[in-house]
Amino acid sequence: MRNDTMGIILTGDEKIAPLTDIRANSALPIAGRYRIIDFVLSNMANAGIVNVGIATESNYSSLMDHAKSGKPWDLDRKNQGLNILPPNMEKQQYGTIKGNIDLLEGIRDYIFRSHQTYVILSLGNMIYNIDFNDVVDAHIKNQADVTAIYKDLSNRSEDVIKHFTLFDINEEGRITDIEVQPYYPKSSNAGMEIYVLEKALLESIIDECSARGDVDFVKDALVKKMGGMRIYGYEFKGSLYKIDSLKSYYSTNMDFLNAEFRNELFNRERPIYTKTKDQSPTKYGDDAVCKNSFISDGCVIEGTVINSILSRGVKVDKGAVVQNSIIMQDSVIEKDVELNHVVFDKEVCITEGRKLIGQESYPLAISKGTKI
Amino acid sequence: MVSKNCVAMILAGGQGSRLGALTKNVAKPAVPFGGKYRIIDFPLSNCVHSGIDTVGVLTQYEPLELNTYIGNGNPWDLDRSHGGAYVLPPYQSGETGEWYKGTANAIYQNLGFLDGFDPKNVLILSGDHIYKMQYNEMLKAHIASEAAVTIAVMPVPWEEAPRFGIMNTNTETGEIIEFEEKPAEPKSNLASMGIYIFRYDILKKYLTDDERDPNSDNDFGKNIIPKLLADGQKLMSYRFEGYWKDVGTIQSLWEANMDLIDDPPKFDLNDRKWVIYSRNYALMPHYIGENAEITRSTITEGCVIDGRVDHSVIFSGVTIGKGAVVKDAVIMPGAVIDEGAVVDKSVIGPNARIGANAKIGVNHESEDNPYKSKYCTHGIVLIEGGAAVPDNGDILKGSMVQVEE
Repeated sequence: MRNDTMGIILTGDEKIAPLTDIRANSALPIAGRYRIIDFVLSNMANAGIVNVGIATESNYSSLMDHAKSGKPWDLDRKNQGLNILPPNMEKQQYGTIKGNIDLLEGIRDYIFRSHQTYVILSLGNMIYNIDFNDVVDAHIKNQADVTAIYKDLSNRSEDVIKHFTLFDINEEGRITDIEVQPYYPKSSNAGMEIYVLEKALLESIIDECSARGDVDFVKDALVKKMGGMRIYGYEFKGSLYKIDSLKSYYSTNMDFLNAEFRNELFNRERPIYTKTKDQSPTKYGDDAVCKNSFISDGCVIEGTVINSILSRGVKVDKGAVVQNSIIMQDSVIEKDVELNHVVFDKEVCITEGRKLIGQESYPLAISKGTKI
Repeated sequence: MVSKNCVAMILAGGQGSRLGALTKNVAKPAVPFGGKYRIIDFPLSNCVHSGIDTVGVLTQYEPLELNTYIGNGNPWDLDRSHGGAYVLPPYQSGETGEWYKGTANAIYQNLGFLDGFDPKNVLILSGDHIYKMQYNEMLKAHIASEAAVTIAVMPVPWEEAPRFGIMNTNTETGEIIEFEEKPAEPKSNLASMGIYIFRYDILKKYLTDDERDPNSDNDFGKNIIPKLLADGQKLMSYRFEGYWKDVGTIQSLWEANMDLIDDPPKFDLNDRKWVIYSRNYALMPHYIGENAEITRSTITEGCVIDGRVDHSVIFSGVTIGKGAVVKDAVIMPGAVIDEGAVVDKSVIGPNARIGANAKIGVNHESEDNPYKSKYCTHGIVLIEGGAAVPDNGDILKGSMVQVEE
């Protein structure tokens, strides 16, 4: 148990139309049966953290429904546990949240009331499997004011890197410069939007920033105070996925077909937990063909499924061919339908004989409940 | 304290010795079934769907795994502040204390537990049947008829009737006139399903009287029911029509699993109106590889399948290698079927390993087969959980392979 540390998760605000029209980005379904937030939440739970707050913005009902009591993460506690914190309606009128400091200010009481010394603050929507204990231990050992987790992306293209917050880091591991999504990146140390700091420091940052009308934790607090603070980097060596566009959403899902990534992200030491739905096992019919696919429970597969990710309760009728596609919960693919490079949100139904073809560089996304 | 209208007691202490090596280390109700369930999930889920929120689970034989599995009852929504799931093992009391001697004695020893809920009625179930049943309908009929006890019955084929406890009833009223245990010449084909609803005052009186009788076997079927009939108490039958299977033998367990993959299934687990709840173990969706061919089967979380699977039930976390062929098989959680192995008409226990190119249940029985077992009828092979069959091994039909001590 990690009694000295609490977790705070701010739900990211990247929009991926049409999938985020109806839900917070963090509640996006991924890898079949999961939501994006399951990864950071499970990592916190696996580190033994017993006090986690999720600050929500708009569209938080699907997040509430998903995380609810915190049971799957063993965070349904008599004391502390999981706290889903709706926006403070008095202070933050809808649409007036300008930055993450506003969100933190909205949950100020919760933060002040908590009794842990350290905070792991997660600001983004990324997928990874990390041992937070190592990060907090390094933070304490370095006597750092703030520790920022990063991943060296020097083997990735500039196009990818420039979507991240980038750090210049000296030999001691101290961060000497921070640039948020610069047009011309000069470093490849990509921030994972997770920070460890003392709760007392976070409290003073919130109060100071909101008093001055500052809105951004990184640009206004860290960048401006870099000279006076010991900000350390902590290098994460595992796989990292950032989900900020339909393209990255699609390719991240598809990467779960790769055994190496799959085994890293779903390793036995640090399992990823999610809400259970008690679906029955998936059923394959007499004419089913299934290759290189990641399939959740409760599906009924009578047709062909190749290179695809199926969430729970998907139905693929006889003669239908689904390739290179992501099909979310309870969607129905009727007889002789042909799908390639599509993303179906939940409860989409495509009727007999229809065809929908997207491209790998431009997958076709269909919004929840659509009947085609 | 608020009095409960009905408390359920599940008899889960039996060994299930006819399941051979499958129940060597676990009680029968904890035996895996249907891909991601255990047998006890069925009565527990039925209770929840029937609005029964207080369930005692009476354990005795090899209780550890079953106890851990039930835990605080949360997977079935039975972690309640008033009621919930309770595991009830035999206990020491005063100067005495003894094992459960029979089904009736097991309930007798827990009258103190029942008193705590002051129930009007007690539903008694066994933990080894596969079925979906709305107990609440039976309870309503029981209360309306003002019977001392109501017993669920179902019609069985006449030729099979001699294997069951048969209820002879008044065909108009459904009142039970006579009970015959395994009659050679049955007068009725209505078999008792081992599901009883007792008025609690009657149950308590008869169990207490039965306990005082040194000649009694302390069994519901043998002692309590005949005594009630002899005393002229009102016993009602409640007719159940639907799928119900006793999975007491390797063959019936195998058959009941095969019933799930018929088209349409004889027993449908994919029923969102009657979900069977089970304890869930954070496993990823299953991955189907490039070389896999899967037909007429069910596969569940955590599996990695790269071989050929036909007409089989694959449980969670199973690995089936490239070139392996699995047919008419029940592969229990965590088992590994290595590349090129062939498994035919078998039950592979949890975490067993079948070596590369091994043959299981492919070749016909022979007299000098060292693994030949009386439990494995109809050529079915049973590999005990945790056992390993070496690469190129050849296990003949009708074998039972156990872990080497």
